[in-house]
Amino acid sequence: MNDSIHDLLPPGIQAVLSKLPGEVVRTLEEIRIREGRPLEILYGSRHGFPDAFGRLSPFPEQAYIPSREECVRLLDVLTRHSLYSFEEELRRGYITVAGGHRIGLAGRAVLEGGKVKMLKDVTSFNIRYARQVKGCGGRVLPQLLDRDATTVHHTLVLSPPQQGKTTLVRDLVRLISEGTRELPGGRKVGVVDERSEIAACVRGVPTFDLGPRTDVLDGCPKAEGMMMMIRSMSPEVLVVDEIGTLQDAEAVWEAMNAGIRVIATAHGRDLEESGGRPALRKLLQEGIFRRFVQLTRQGERFDARVKELAGPRLRQARAPDELEVRRC
Amino acid sequence: MLKTFGALLILIAGILFGLFQSQSLARRPKQLRQLGLALKRLETEIGYGATPLPEALKTSAVSLSPPLAAIFLDAAERMTEPGTVRTAAECWSAAVQRGFPRTALKEPEREAILQLGATLGISDTQDQLKHLHLALHHLAVEESHASDEERQYGKIWKSLGVLGAALVVVIML
Repeated sequence: MNDSIHDLLPPGIQAVLSKLPGEVVRTLEEIRIREGRPLEILYGSRHGFPDAFGRLSPFPEQAYIPSREECVRLLDVLTRHSLYSFEEELRRGYITVAGGHRIGLAGRAVLEGGKVKMLKDVTSFNIRYARQVKGCGGRVLPQLLDRDATTVHHTLVLSPPQQGKTTLVRDLVRLISEGTRELPGGRKVGVVDERSEIAACVRGVPTFDLGPRTDVLDGCPKAEGMMMMIRSMSPEVLVVDEIGTLQDAEAVWEAMNAGIRVIATAHGRDLEESGGRPALRKLLQEGIFRRFVQLTRQGERFDARVKELAGPRLRQARAPDELEVRRC
Repeated sequence: MLKTFGALLILIAGILFGLFQSQSLARRPKQLRQLGLALKRLETEIGYGATPLPEALKTSAVSLSPPLAAIFLDAAERMTEPGTVRTAAECWSAAVQRGFPRTALKEPEREAILQLGATLGISDTQDQLKHLHLALHHLAVEESHASDEERQYGKIWKSLGVLGAALVVVIML
């Protein structure tokens, strides 16, 4: 646990986590801190409640219970002692910290004119570990290539949360930017990283390796950001995370018709389910996406199934066995 | 000869003592004014710049005289210490405890800035501004008290020093 997250946690929770078994620490995915309720951790697709001595139990009875004071302290440290400068983050409900880790927040919403202005009394923290898994897109990328145009197809990556969408997209960005045997020289990649998840920029510089030909527009709303990228940075491939609103879909549509290849991700189990969402329905109906990648997580690896639009499944790609988990 | 010399020494000591007392009375309103200005600056940094607290404290410290600036800088330093898990309030109160004795300020101001410290950085902009206003108001009240005191007792101390020394000289002669 010698990483940036550890330094942010209040001493009590730090002590608990430092006593966890090494195996658990290595596969740690989430730490969930809820005020006055049991501390929970998720690791390797399992979950458990650690007690004060770092022993994990599937039942919450003996679990360590974070106090109010610890939660206040955590929020204070997360916001670098300046909650007022994190109002935008509090409105969106998460904070990205160095290393690309994202901390989801829940509490009481303060409304202004019917819209969420910010969160008050933050009592739930979800610390999500971000890991760069280099090479996880190696098997997927060849199937996304448009060999006639020597670039990639318009691609939509679909999966429920927590299955590795962002991890896969991050690696695809790196591979496309660096270039591979099938895609020599790489391509100019533009990443619109609204949630600072793909690149995890700290002061505008990506903390993850996204290859040499990648530009990142950090913290910018997707719809606007995509248009900005098209106009200003002339990307050959545009990458966006989690398209969901109608404006997003509009911008994706715009980019696709501007001759730029788009790789986007969306929440959803499969095509049918995603087709039910109005924003995606239009894009799917127009049939612009040529490839669909469906992810299902299996322990530390994930299965990526690549589908051609309305076509048969191409081939089932497995993430490589020599999957290297790189800690950040 | 020796007597005159001794009398002179006593007189000088008396005058210096009086001057010193009136000086320290004058320092308090001056430092209070400075502190007020620094808090105004902090207000701008928070309200318009949304500058993170450590940097905001450092910029506000620029206009302060050394003993007060030390408090601001010390607090900022403690907050940015790598691997720190202390809250802003803890850093602030630790800095105040350490730096306060070197200032000319008194208990009421100490209360006011400690109270301000407890709320620093933990709420949204509007709330922060409210707390800063409150602290500024406190300081303004204290400042007018301090100025009054200075006007009343500043001269008294000076004359008292001279007259006291003269009295001692007269008694001893």
